Amino acid sequence: MINQLAALDISEAAFLGLVVATIQFATLLYLAALGEAIAERSGVLNLGVEGMMAVGAVCGYIGAVSTGSPWLGLLIGALAGAVAAGVHAVVAVGLGADQVVSGLALTILGLGLANFIGDGYTDDPRRSQFTDADIPLLSDIPWVGETVFSTTPVTYLAVVLGVGTWFVMNRTALGLGVRAVGESASTADAAGHSVVATRAGAVMVGGAFAGLSGAYLTTTGIVGAWSEGLIAGRGWIAVALVIFGAWRAGRVATGAVLFGFTLALQTRLQPFGVDFSPILLSMLPYILTVIVLIVISIRARHQPSPAPAGLGIAYRREER
Amino acid sequence: MKRLVLRRREEAVRGGQPVAFAAGLVFALVIGALLLTISGDPVLGTYQRMWDRSFGTADTLSATFNRAVPLALAGLAVSIAATMGLWNIGAEGQIMFGATAATLVGRVGADWPSPVLIVAMLIGAAIGGALWALGPGLAKAEIGVSEIITTLMLNEVAVRLIVYLQTGPWKDPDGFGFPQITVKPEGSQLGIIWERSHLGVLIALAVIAGFAWFVNRSVWGYELRIAGASAKTAAYAGISMRKKVLGVLVLSGAVAGFAGGIELTGTAARLNENISNGFGFAGIIVAALALMRPSGVALVAVFFGAVQVGGQSIQTLGVSPAVAGILQALILFGAIGAAVLSTYQLALVERKVVTT
Repeated sequence: MINQLAALDISEAAFLGLVVATIQFATLLYLAALGEAIAERSGVLNLGVEGMMAVGAVCGYIGAVSTGSPWLGLLIGALAGAVAAGVHAVVAVGLGADQVVSGLALTILGLGLANFIGDGYTDDPRRSQFTDADIPLLSDIPWVGETVFSTTPVTYLAVVLGVGTWFVMNRTALGLGVRAVGESASTADAAGHSVVATRAGAVMVGGAFAGLSGAYLTTTGIVGAWSEGLIAGRGWIAVALVIFGAWRAGRVATGAVLFGFTLALQTRLQPFGVDFSPILLSMLPYILTVIVLIVISIRARHQPSPAPAGLGIAYRREER
Repeated sequence: MKRLVLRRREEAVRGGQPVAFAAGLVFALVIGALLLTISGDPVLGTYQRMWDRSFGTADTLSATFNRAVPLALAGLAVSIAATMGLWNIGAEGQIMFGATAATLVGRVGADWPSPVLIVAMLIGAAIGGALWALGPGLAKAEIGVSEIITTLMLNEVAVRLIVYLQTGPWKDPDGFGFPQITVKPEGSQLGIIWERSHLGVLIALAVIAGFAWFVNRSVWGYELRIAGASAKTAAYAGISMRKKVLGVLVLSGAVAGFAGGIELTGTAARLNENISNGFGFAGIIVAALALMRPSGVALVAVFFGAVQVGGQSIQTLGVSPAVAGILQALILFGAIGAAVLSTYQLALVERKVVTT
């Protein structure tokens, strides 16, 4: 397929469109996956990403069009995502229920709530939009400037959050505490860390990121409106991305660009004259994730797995 | 400084899961009422309509039973995997691939006698579901890859496979260019047994009863429960964990795939990407509420079928049908809360101050 692409006379516009779309999808996936990575590093698997994104999307849209500020929309979307994640924090962390069941139920609840809240907004003609922020000088570079350095501020925000997450996780006592709780809750508890507070906090920060991701769709010009089924399985890709990126903020970013590229390609194969079903291409992120999981597991025989050791294991103090 | 903790009760509140389920139902109805009130919808009117259109008459009850079939079989699939402590999150994909395999059989044998065609399609569906679970089963058994993520990922692959088939290879030539798969052959429709209920209701009940017996009474089921309870005991007894893990996941997939076959031959007109309609995910909730017991799965599935069928009917009242999904999730959260609070109580305790 690469040879096919190279052999074609690719028009500049189609190529720039592909780059722009890759950046947009990568931003969407990265925000959600970064949040999920934070939760998972604390030992909590949250399969509610899809639902939290939907709640963030609808609340972000309503917030943006009713206040007239897309920034406030983003904030409201993030808060809504955090509140939705609070359900998982109470049930899976506070009550110690099974994380898989609680997370999947959160997806069902989130999608239901989003459709319920957004019921009167599906035909709303109002559109929310950010003006693209140009980074001075850099945005004047031909090709790269028009695409990478002239996009919605949310993409820059995602980069800042990514660097911030890396810093907090790897260079601060707070991050060390989160990772300690994720590796061994009982050890961290014995060392004086509150397992419940740490995990609940990580889950809710993760929910805020997922909500931000959903609101990114509805508050920016990418969609700028709410409709049912808007998230369309991207939450599951975010879950996959965390594994693909080995739970590290940096590697997840690389994966987000790669997965974002495959999503962007799907609707843009025809302009390039490539005769390959875009639907088959859309299976790629999921299949790649399965392959990566298998590779991780094979390598885990010789070297430690990158997965947090306590991932998915509920902790109740008295059962120590 | 004080903090809130869970403390084990000296004596657990009795009643078990049925009471927890009832508590979850009440919790869901109360929160649901709150949401309806906030959005200005009639609370009692909505619930009344949901009841009328699900349990209200023989006609609606039969529709509820039809809806309960894929939920119960998906729940059964999840509970089979759970006997070994495994999570089959891929029932959704296995249902879809099962229905795809059944459609393939239907395309080959469109003019076979009806009973032969139906049996062949259902067997095809079970094989399809088993195949869809084979990869995750092998990966788990041989390499130790978490089945949670692999089964989950294959859901997304399965739905895209159906979309691919309906836009390309299996596109209906008489569909006026509309991307849809040709309707299933005439002879593949399951017979009606009562009002709107099709034969699939009886078949599902038989399958569930069969598995309840199988897991509780057969040697294989006995070994399964030992292996699920303790890998060490199983190894001591000479039970191969690898074979058990693979077998149980493939069997779980076969049951889910079979559900896809029943849905296609019983309810759907043709294969499309909505053939599973979230049954695989709802099945996980159903199985969790039934504490992974086959008999409980059937009962909870009827309740969930009623919520789903009732939920579709409130649209004409101007109420969002999304209420159904919200209620299903809230029943689970409420029941979990009730179950935990029956053995634990919330207590405020003094925060321990560590002095060195």
